[in-house]
Formats: sequence, structure tokens, C-alpha cells
Amino acid sequence: MLKYKTFKGGYRFRNFLGQPREQLKELPIPQRVIIPLKQGFGGEVKPLVSPGDKVYAGQIIGRDDENVSSPVHSSVNGEVLKIEKINYFKQEITAIFIEAEPTAEWRPLEGYSADWGKLSPEKIEELIYLSGSASLDKEGIPTRFRSSIISPSEVENLIIHGIGSEIYNLSLRLLLSGKNLFHFIEGIRILKKIFPQAEVHLALNKNFKKLVEEISKITSGFDWLKIYALEPKYPQGYDEMLVPTLLGRPFPYGYSAANIGIVILNTQAVLHVYEAVCEGKPLIERTIALCGEGFRENLHLKVKIGTPLKEIFSPYLRKDKEMRLVLNSLLTGIRLNIFSLPLSRTFSQVIALPENREREFLSFLRLGMRSESYTRTFLSALLRGKKKLNTNIHGEPRPCISCGYCQEVCPVRIIPHLLYRFIERNIIDERLSKYGIFNCLECNLCSFVCPSKLPLAKTIKDGQERLITIGCDRAKCILPYFDLKGLEEYRGIK
Amino acid sequence: MKLVKKFIEGLYLKKSLKRFKPVIKALDEFFFGTDKVTYISLRSPHILDNIDIKRYMFTVIIALMPSVLAAIYLYGLRVILVIFVSYLVGGMVEVISAIFRKKEIQEGFLVTGLIFPLLLPPTIPLWMVGVGIFFGVFIGKEIFGGTGRNIFNPALVGRLFITISFPQALTTSWAEPLRGGLAGFLRYKSDALTSATPLISFKSGHTLTNISELLMGLSSGSIGETFRLGVILGGLFLLYTRVANWRIPLAYLSSVFILSFLGNVFFPDKFAPPLFQLFSGGLLLGAFFMATDPVTSPFSELGKWIFGFGCGLLTVLIRTFSGYVEGVMFSIIIMNGFSPLIDQSILNFRYRYLKR
Ligand code: SF4
Ligand code: SF4
Repeated sequence: MLKYKTFKGGYRFRNFLGQPREQLKELPIPQRVIIPLKQGFGGEVKPLVSPGDKVYAGQIIGRDDENVSSPVHSSVNGEVLKIEKINYFKQEITAIFIEAEPTAEWRPLEGYSADWGKLSPEKIEELIYLSGSASLDKEGIPTRFRSSIISPSEVENLIIHGIGSEIYNLSLRLLLSGKNLFHFIEGIRILKKIFPQAEVHLALNKNFKKLVEEISKITSGFDWLKIYALEPKYPQGYDEMLVPTLLGRPFPYGYSAANIGIVILNTQAVLHVYEAVCEGKPLIERTIALCGEGFRENLHLKVKIGTPLKEIFSPYLRKDKEMRLVLNSLLTGIRLNIFSLPLSRTFSQVIALPENREREFLSFLRLGMRSESYTRTFLSALLRGKKKLNTNIHGEPRPCISCGYCQEVCPVRIIPHLLYRFIERNIIDERLSKYGIFNCLECNLCSFVCPSKLPLAKTIKDGQERLITIGCDRAKCILPYFDLKGLEEYRGIK
Repeated sequence: MKLVKKFIEGLYLKKSLKRFKPVIKALDEFFFGTDKVTYISLRSPHILDNIDIKRYMFTVIIALMPSVLAAIYLYGLRVILVIFVSYLVGGMVEVISAIFRKKEIQEGFLVTGLIFPLLLPPTIPLWMVGVGIFFGVFIGKEIFGGTGRNIFNPALVGRLFITISFPQALTTSWAEPLRGGLAGFLRYKSDALTSATPLISFKSGHTLTNISELLMGLSSGSIGETFRLGVILGGLFLLYTRVANWRIPLAYLSSVFILSFLGNVFFPDKFAPPLFQLFSGGLLLGAFFMATDPVTSPFSELGKWIFGFGCGLLTVLIRTFSGYVEGVMFSIIIMNGFSPLIDQSILNFRYRYLKR
């Protein structure tokens, strides 16, 4: 059962140089790893080891059963050097430093079985929890071990997606190549077993026709599984867009999908679930894609969690130009600038983007074979040439001319230029929330398309904050319409 | 390129030119793109679209090129002079108010300065061009606070002003288009005069001009409106590039077509037939290039439909029932005035449930 769906607004990014090839390389074991004790969804866990202890790869070195969290593992065999607070992406987090031995063996979790049908749901949940996979993606996978904010019985819908609506994406074909496709489908069935009451939705990129067909064929016997082919328009991969597109239900903007009983997982998370249950493999490595022109080679790497970024990128990064490294998304991602920091579970692609401070002669007259634009004022729109990206802002700030681009692309149908006008003139009142200011997903698409280079998304966010200071907050316009689950826990984590 | 850079850098350093900083800056920005990069914060994207206002406005100019070239061919080299005067005076107003307001010069006048002359009759005296564009840019735009804040389309304001002030010059004599060989490319102006445009002939004697003649610009009319094939091509180019929104021209043209069709069925001697209406006067130029001005038309989608329909209705009514033969300019200006109201009502309607 295959359905095509999409949403109004958004923007399809296409044809960029620097997409990762379908090739996977394994990185050698690093000399030293740094394991942050908060990775993915959930709170920080307590360390179970102390300096000087010998650890093995796959050993749980941090765990906290009282609060919403998931265990953390050593990704290598070796010895604990020190336990120290580090500043990890604007958060103070305790991290465990481990001196690694160059051995690749890892110890599996107890009680796994390739024949997972024989395992009880309790055991499966335990394996998923202990492997750390339960902390993946925005709301984690609910198990009876408090790995998410709701309990497994509260899950009404499970959405699994591999859309790739970002500019650069992990290659879905690579992730699901060979045996992995089978593992992926087994992973979905395992999840169905622990959420027997849930409807399961699988959303795939509609451009991968062959893959979609193959999966539909294999799963044709599963009447509980709905498959959708979606247009990879940014930001379709966001939880906030998947829920209305697939289920036709409104999303409680600003809260999590779990609050309305929906769990959303991406492809890699499902593969980790399979590995945990059928191979007993804890979450000690991730596949990441090196994207963008700033890398000498664009490929996928299998990297041990905790590997310092320097060791991952240095061999691949081009040195002839200044580069900006961005995590996961060019529109909303964080900049990676401290290379001694480690890789965590949340990484999926890293983009090296040339910093461009050069002034271009008569730039507005250029034909633009390689220029990206929402408008079709460049030749690249006609000839479909491969496009290049850089950090230049490509123009001078000007007043808004009401061209309406921001309004056309906004996925939640806000009118960004209207809100911008209000906030710029210091008109902060209820009208802002009436016009939907709290629905903003911070997808940054409006700031991207604006020909006047106005910082729309940023201003809207500021407007939200100023609105809250005058006592008009999100709760008032979102909460009355929803019956949210696990709200207290969610607040605790945020 | 290096020379230009040196020259501009030199200008920046001259103390005596300090007051003209906006002009120098505009020149600098005109020749060289920016060296700024995107902010590094979670709330801004790392990349921005390649489009900027210069390119946006320039796309409109490219779209107008077929009409401009055809105008020179049809009405002689004097057209260039008319455009030059318009740019000169319009540019001066823009520069002076930029210096006065200490703001940067905005590119909007590049379009206004080109559209305005295209709306004028070929025989227009040059001083009148200057007066019109001065009035249009100054009263129509700068008084409101510059680009982005004006309510009325500046080119139309200028045109309206001279129509009302000098009705003689603007309505009675029209130049016959030149044709054959290189025609206007080699001549200063067309000397043959006529008193009738196709719309006038219909009103006075019910003579219909051939559609193909109308399309190819072989009938008389304002400088830029008669080569309608070029206007249509330019307009479609604008819609393709997304610089103009397709909703307004579609609503405008189709409502003119449908209304005049209905009118023509019931009152054939009052209403001109639909195809003739579509291809006569300044309708195409107005629908593609002026009604679509984003600043002065509604921003909401429904509002754009209403705006287009309103323009269409008014155009047909004015053409049929008023003393004026052409109603495009008036209807767009009137609807410009209504746009804020249309938008506000739509907002109130769309968000009515959330009011408490
Ligand atoms: S994209 Fe920019 S210029 Fe266009 S309407 Fe939005 S804010 Fe205004
Ligand atoms: S950042 Fe907010 S306002 Fe801007 S396009 Fe995204 S959702 Fe809409």
C-alpha cells in the first residue's frame, strides 16, 4: 500500500556538488576517545567507572535508571584516563576520557538472539535500552526503563522515515544496501512487537523508486505497515512536518511528538535497533557522511563514538581555503569549530562549506550556472547544473519589498514578513501569537530565501522571547488544543 | 575591474565628497558584491539564497527589454532620450532623498525609471517627462519613506499626475509607428500623427483593429505598450523567474476577458469584444509589470486574486462607461489604495478563530 503525500510550502533543494558517494570506509581505532555522558535524548547519566579502570568496548560506563536517560558505552577497549567536565555544544557535560588499545573486538549484550521472535517484549526492550539505541532521534524510543518521556503502551503511532530533505543527506541507498535492507525491515518488525498497539508508518523519498518498490514488495504481507513516498522538500524530515503530512493531525508546536503519542525514528536508528536485538551490538559507532566541497572526498565513514573530530576530518579536509564545518544541516546546524571535541550519537552528516569573503565583480549580472536560488533568475534553474554553496550572503540588506517568498516557503503557513514588521516596530502584543508566531519550527527557510537578506527567523525567535516576557506564552496558544502526555518529564529534560 | 575598484576607493577617501557617501556606496555595491558571510548562530542559516534586490530589479529590466527595443524601432531614437531624462530626474530625486535621509540608495528606481517612460505617448515633451517622474518618485515614494513603504506604484502616480495636469498633450495626438527596414533605429522620431489609438477608434466609431496588428505593435499607443508580443514574452519570463507572482496577471487578464465577454454578449455596442480588450491599450503592460509590483499589491494569496479581479472589473467599467478611453492606470492605482484593506480583512478572516 503506497501513498504519495506532501505539504504546502517548503523548498526542494536539488543538484549540489559534494553529495556523499555510496561508499563506506571504516576509520581506524583512535588512540583516545572522549565519551560525553549525555548523548541524544535524555538527561546526563552517572559515571560507573573511575580513572585507572580497564574497560572493554561495549561496556556500559554511564547509566542512570532514575531519570529519563539511556546508558552510555565505552566504544573501545582500554583504560579510563580521567573524568572531566567539558563544554560540549554550549552545555557543561561530564565526559570520560579513555586511552584505547588498537583491538577491534567488542563484547555483545547478554541475551540477544538472531531469532528475535523467541525473545519476550521485556527482553527486547531491555536490549534496546542497554544498547543505547533508545536515545536516538528527537524523542527516543520508549521502553519500560524510562528512556523516553512516555511509556511503550502510550505509543499510538510509530513513524519511520528516510526522506533526506536536507541539502546534504546520508545516502539512503548505502544505508539500506545489501543485507541492511533486510535488517531494516526486521528492525521495524521488532519495534512493532514492543508497540503492538501502534500503527506503523514508513515514509521514504519518492525519488528512490527502485528502493521504494523493493520495500513495498517485501512488506506486502504486513497489513499493519503503511508506506508513503514523500517529496524530499525541506523540511519534510522534521517531526513537525511528518505528523501533519502522514497522519493529517496537527502538531503541538514547541513540544515533542511523543507528547501526542507518536514516536519518530530515522533509518539509522532502526538499524541500530536491529543490531542491538539480533547481534547484541551496543551503540558504539555511527555512520556519518562527509558532504560539501570542502572535503577532498565525499564519502561515508564508520566512526567510533567519542573519536575526536580532528581525527575524523583532518585527512579529508581541504586546506587551501578557509572552511566552515557544520553539523547535520546547513540551515539549522551548529558550527563545529573546536576540533578536540568528540563525535556523539547525534551526528549523521558533517558539511564543509567554503567561507567566501570575496567580492564578486558585477555579481548581479552573472548568469549563475552554479548558483542556488529559490527564484529562477539564474541559469542553473534552466540547465540544472550542479550547484555550489558558500557562506557569502550574496547581497546587501535592504528593506522588505513584500515579494512574498518567505511566506510561500514557510512550511507552517506563517507570514514571516508580517511578523518581522511588527517586531521591528516594537509592536509586541497578542496579535503576534494570533498570527502564529509560536508555530515557527525554526527551519530558517524564510531567512534563506529573502532577497533583502533580512534575518527573519532570528527576529521571529526574538519576538517569541519578548512576547513571553510580557506574559503571553506558548502554553496559552498550544496547550488548550491538545491532550499532551508526559509533559512534566518533557519540561524536565528541556 | 581593478581600475573601477581604485576609483571608488579614491572616492571614499575624499573629504569633500563625504556628503555623497550614499552615492559612493551605491556605486561600490553596484560594481562589487558583498564580502559579508552569514552569521554563525543557531538562528540563522549558514547559506543564503543568491538572489538580491539588485538582481531582482534587474530581472524586471531584462523582461522589459523587448518592449524597449521595439519602442525604439517603432518610434525612433528619441525614445532613448525620453528614458534618459526619466532616469536622470528620477535618479536625482532618489539620490537627494538618500543623502537627506542618510540611508542607502535603493534599486527600486531602476525599474520605476524605465517603466514610467513606457507609459507615455511618443510625442511627450521632454520637460513633461521630467516633471512626471519627479512627481512620481517624490510624492509616490519618498514621502512615504522610500521603497517598501509606498502605497501607490510611483510610475503610475507620475503618469496620473501628468494626465490630469496636461490632458491635451497626453490624449489628443499619437505618433504613427515607423516601419520597414531599420525604421526607428535610424530616425529621431516618427512625424506622422494620428488622433486615434485602437481604443479611441472603438469608442468613437466601433472600428476594431486587427489582433495581429495589435500584437506586432503596428497600431498607435504609448511608447512601451504597443509591441504586445514582447510584453507578453517579457511578462511570462517574469512569472517564470518568480519575480512576479502569477496570481495577479492571471486574475486580472481572465477577469477582463470574462467580463468583457459577458458585456459584449448582452450589450455589443457598448462593450468591446474580449480579445480586442485584452490586446489593446496598456492592459498587458499593466497586468504583467505594474499590478504585480509586490510592494503595492496585497501579500496574501487570496488578496492577490481579489486585487487582480478588482483591477479587471474597474478596467472594463472605466473603458466602457467613463469619459476616459483607457482604465488600466486608474484601476491599478485605485486597487493599490485598497490593498492594505484587502490584506487586513483577509488576516482578520483567516485568524478569526484564534481571537479571544
Ligand atoms: S522574503 Fe524578504 S523581502 Fe520578501 S517578503 Fe519576505 S521579508 Fe520581505
Ligand atoms: S523559520 Fe519559522 S517562520 Fe521561517 S519559514 Fe521556518 S517555520 Fe516559517
